[in-house]
Amino acid sequence: MTAAKVAGKNGNRVTAMLLLPTTLWFLLLLVMPLVVILVFSLGERAPAGGYQAALTLEQYANLPARLKAFTNTLTLSPLGTLICMVIAYPLAYYLAIKAGRRAKALLLTLVIVPFWTSFLIRTYAWIYILGGRGIPRLLEMIGIEDLRLINTPTAVLIGIVYGYLPLMVFPIYVSLEKLDKGLLEASSDLGANPVRTFLQVTLPLSAPGLITGSLLVFILLMGEYLIPAILGGGKVFFVGNALVDLFLQSRNWPFGSAVAVALVVIMLVAIALYLSLAGRERGRQDVSII
Amino acid sequence: MARRNALAMTGGNRERAGGVPRDSSGQSADIEFAGVTKRFGEVVAVDDVSLSVERGAFYTFLGPSGCGKTTSLRLIAGFEQPDQGDVRIGGASVVGIPPYKRPVNMVFQHYALFPHLTVADNIGYGLRQRAPRPTNSEITGQVGEMLELVRLSGFETRRVWELSGGQQQRVALARALINHPTVLLLDEPLAALDRKLRREMQIELQTLQREVGITFVLVTHDQEEALSMSDTICIMRDGRIVQTGGPKELYDEPVNGYVADFVGKSNFFAGKVVEATGTGAAVELEGGRVLSGRRPKNGETLAPGARGVIAVRPELVHVTPTAGPTASQTDVEAPGRVKNRIFLGEHTEYLVGTQELGDILALVPKHVEASDGGFTPGDEVRIGWRTSAALSLAER
Amino acid sequence: MSYKNNGDTPISAKKFMEELRRYQKGSVSRRHFLGVTGLGLATAAMAKAMPELAGIGKAHAAANIGDRVSIATWPNYYDPANYEAFTTATGADVQISVFGSNEEMLAKLQAGGTGWDVFVPTNYTISTYVELDLIQPLDLSRLANFDEKHYIKRFIEPGTVNGKVYAVPKNWGTTGFVLNRKKVKTDPTTWKAFWDLTKTDASGRVIVHDYQLTTIGNALKYFGYSFNSVDPKELADAEKLLLEAKPHLFAITSDYQPAMRANDAWMSIAWTGDGLQLHRDIPEIDYVLGKEGGELWSDFYAIPKEAPHVDAAYAFIDYLIDPKINAREVAAHGYPVPDNRTTALLPKEMTEDPIMYPAQELLDALEFGAAVTLTDPLRAEVMARFKAA
Repeated sequence: MTAAKVAGKNGNRVTAMLLLPTTLWFLLLLVMPLVVILVFSLGERAPAGGYQAALTLEQYANLPARLKAFTNTLTLSPLGTLICMVIAYPLAYYLAIKAGRRAKALLLTLVIVPFWTSFLIRTYAWIYILGGRGIPRLLEMIGIEDLRLINTPTAVLIGIVYGYLPLMVFPIYVSLEKLDKGLLEASSDLGANPVRTFLQVTLPLSAPGLITGSLLVFILLMGEYLIPAILGGGKVFFVGNALVDLFLQSRNWPFGSAVAVALVVIMLVAIALYLSLAGRERGRQDVSII
Repeated sequence: MARRNALAMTGGNRERAGGVPRDSSGQSADIEFAGVTKRFGEVVAVDDVSLSVERGAFYTFLGPSGCGKTTSLRLIAGFEQPDQGDVRIGGASVVGIPPYKRPVNMVFQHYALFPHLTVADNIGYGLRQRAPRPTNSEITGQVGEMLELVRLSGFETRRVWELSGGQQQRVALARALINHPTVLLLDEPLAALDRKLRREMQIELQTLQREVGITFVLVTHDQEEALSMSDTICIMRDGRIVQTGGPKELYDEPVNGYVADFVGKSNFFAGKVVEATGTGAAVELEGGRVLSGRRPKNGETLAPGARGVIAVRPELVHVTPTAGPTASQTDVEAPGRVKNRIFLGEHTEYLVGTQELGDILALVPKHVEASDGGFTPGDEVRIGWRTSAALSLAER
Repeated sequence: MSYKNNGDTPISAKKFMEELRRYQKGSVSRRHFLGVTGLGLATAAMAKAMPELAGIGKAHAAANIGDRVSIATWPNYYDPANYEAFTTATGADVQISVFGSNEEMLAKLQAGGTGWDVFVPTNYTISTYVELDLIQPLDLSRLANFDEKHYIKRFIEPGTVNGKVYAVPKNWGTTGFVLNRKKVKTDPTTWKAFWDLTKTDASGRVIVHDYQLTTIGNALKYFGYSFNSVDPKELADAEKLLLEAKPHLFAITSDYQPAMRANDAWMSIAWTGDGLQLHRDIPEIDYVLGKEGGELWSDFYAIPKEAPHVDAAYAFIDYLIDPKINAREVAAHGYPVPDNRTTALLPKEMTEDPIMYPAQELLDALEFGAAVTLTDPLRAEVMARFKAA
């Protein structure tokens, strides 16, 4: 055996050892729970609640009973993602391309600062802003009476956009920051006005950031539970809320597991669809997520 | 030797440039600057510059970084607007007009090709911005012609990042030229290429300009590039123009030491001006030796008592063996010792250390070397030149 | 949480965040949150002004009960000053989790690992806890302050299962509804009127509990069915009503005081103490019992099977059912107690309060919750469907 071969073998062993913790982590924290959930979803609810072993598809047959939670999640998540995108883009654009160094530092700090306090206390603050003592009271002054904002889908959307905007801003900001500003000059030089330059150069080249940001926001929104619970008053129900209910109130673990499996499947399908659409949009160019 | 070749080549260009037809109105300037000033905060990048670029010329801004050459180019392109003065293209003021409305196109230093588009889509970009938009077949046709012009046929569907530096350079050229600009602006277009490719592209650019017949404005810090391609070179320093002229004029008749130093190599002997006339001057060096030289055409005036330099081009310095007969053609001489020898093919470059005049660079043609056998470091030699070969110049 | 933090030492940022998260998770009440974060300095001041409180726990202080006791209870259902005094006397920190429904409590205990030493189950749930072996029988010799003869019989009975005492009474009360008279112009006195108003004049301003027993129970009352029905047909009617009402609801939550106080909500299903607290602060908010009936309930102190600090649990329960302490509890939260000794210590305006002590004919119509509702899969699913609709 040559020295090189020995070194190669040792290298493989070192690699394997380095990967071991990750692999264990992956198996323990990702695969195992998924297997448990799959097994549970084929079972039955025990008489006093919980799980009772069985092999039935009954839980899946019952999924339509949570249709509204799924449709809510599948409309408000993409809508929230879209609104985040529309609001985050100009901000990220300004930060990356227009802002001076001082303004940039200040604005970036302002975008980050909310992360210093709990996401929840910030969402709670919205209860007061959207509640009867907040915006509706201001609107009363100009004669708009009894407007209700809190516990509506609008309130949930506001909370979503508020909470997830930074997650959208940063990937877009990074992709715009990396954008060679010479390309914008080149486009202008070749006769494209600013709008056309934006549509033909800036937008396509910041697509990776847009895709990363929207996937990040969308995936997290699909599992969202707190914002609907806090700003939806239990009325705007996401699948996440249905899951909490099934596990913590009805104690119907098998059905809860079936709902969770369905959510994972829908999410994977949605992401695959989105990526293939985004990929087609960008032609032959590789869609790099990061 | 590269420089002689370059000179010969630019000489050819100048003749051609003179042949470019001028339009009937007598308007022969494509680009004019009238008292243009551009500031960036405290820094004056372009300081009260007036110039005029003839239609069809190959015009070059030459200077070190920070001299204002790139800003001048960007003022023409429209990426910058002047603080004072007027910029005219084809006789009409373009102040306040954005880049996308100007009849000029630029080849950017790092090409600025669109990475998300194919070669063909990059080249056709300008056509697609036109209103009304040409049909797809028109665009395809013109892109094809351009690819042929820059010898890249068959590369249509390639990604720009798959191309070599030289190929990218040619795509950038095609992308600019497809719009039939009045003026093509080139911002250090060859800086990213290796030396051999750079030489090839220099020739290619000249050929191209001859074919398309439009004004080229080049920005470079590379004097060799400037000398080999340009009809007119504008040497800048600190936002101002130092001298404008053809390559031969700048080489042979530099207005001061800065130009002589920037354009080609020179041996400089600095000292106090002891005598100055309209046709020449004498400078007393520190060691007491007095050298004199001719005053170049338009050379800055020297006053007795002021500082001045005598400049001698290395190819005009003769090197002879100490033992042999004095070279008849020299009237300034000094003994010295060969310190270094660089073989350059057609020429050999010697660095000779002398007592009185310091280190002196001399360039000896192959045929001369062949007759005297050449020297090796450590050899005692005599150097010399003709007074008529020396220039008396204002110090930088 | 440590009530020791309530004193002069300002709360640290880290501590504040911990408290906040617990509050957000619903583990602690709003009042507790305000208290520990220094927003309720009054609490601390009060504890200091009543040094005799510290003496009360002397008996418990004598034995070493450990450094903590953990309790699972309901929102707005205790006096922080009492808990603080207990900590001062015994050195055991009181850790509090707050819940919105008995189902939630059961779910946690079923899942295991709660760490609770004391919890507050409602009458109808205790037999299920015994069946599931989640609760331990009480050693009454360790509860010196408990004496059966002082208690109202019907409120004490659910604590005894198969002849063994598993829980001692905490409070009793009713489930009615609160309404804001300034906003609701009619005078509903029945559950029928409650639901009809929900769908008409009070649309968008009504809260129902995130709790199957009361929300489904009072929907059943609309049709004159038993509050405890598990009959599929009757539940189907209730579900239909709930689904009709859902678009008109302001929220589905058991923490309805903030929305009532903010005028966001005008009506809500409510428990006695919340009715009293709201009425005390905002006189136009009234507490009404539906004439058709509804729930009468009693809550208990009990010790989970897996309680890690049993000594502390006994000490804490015994402390809390001491009539003097208990009277302070009632003064704070407004729920009546089934202990005559404690009632005797209450001020007259409380003992004569119609919210705490409703008229007999109203009480007669009420029913205790039935054990079957806690685990009935159909009731659970009706509630879950209603929420997910």
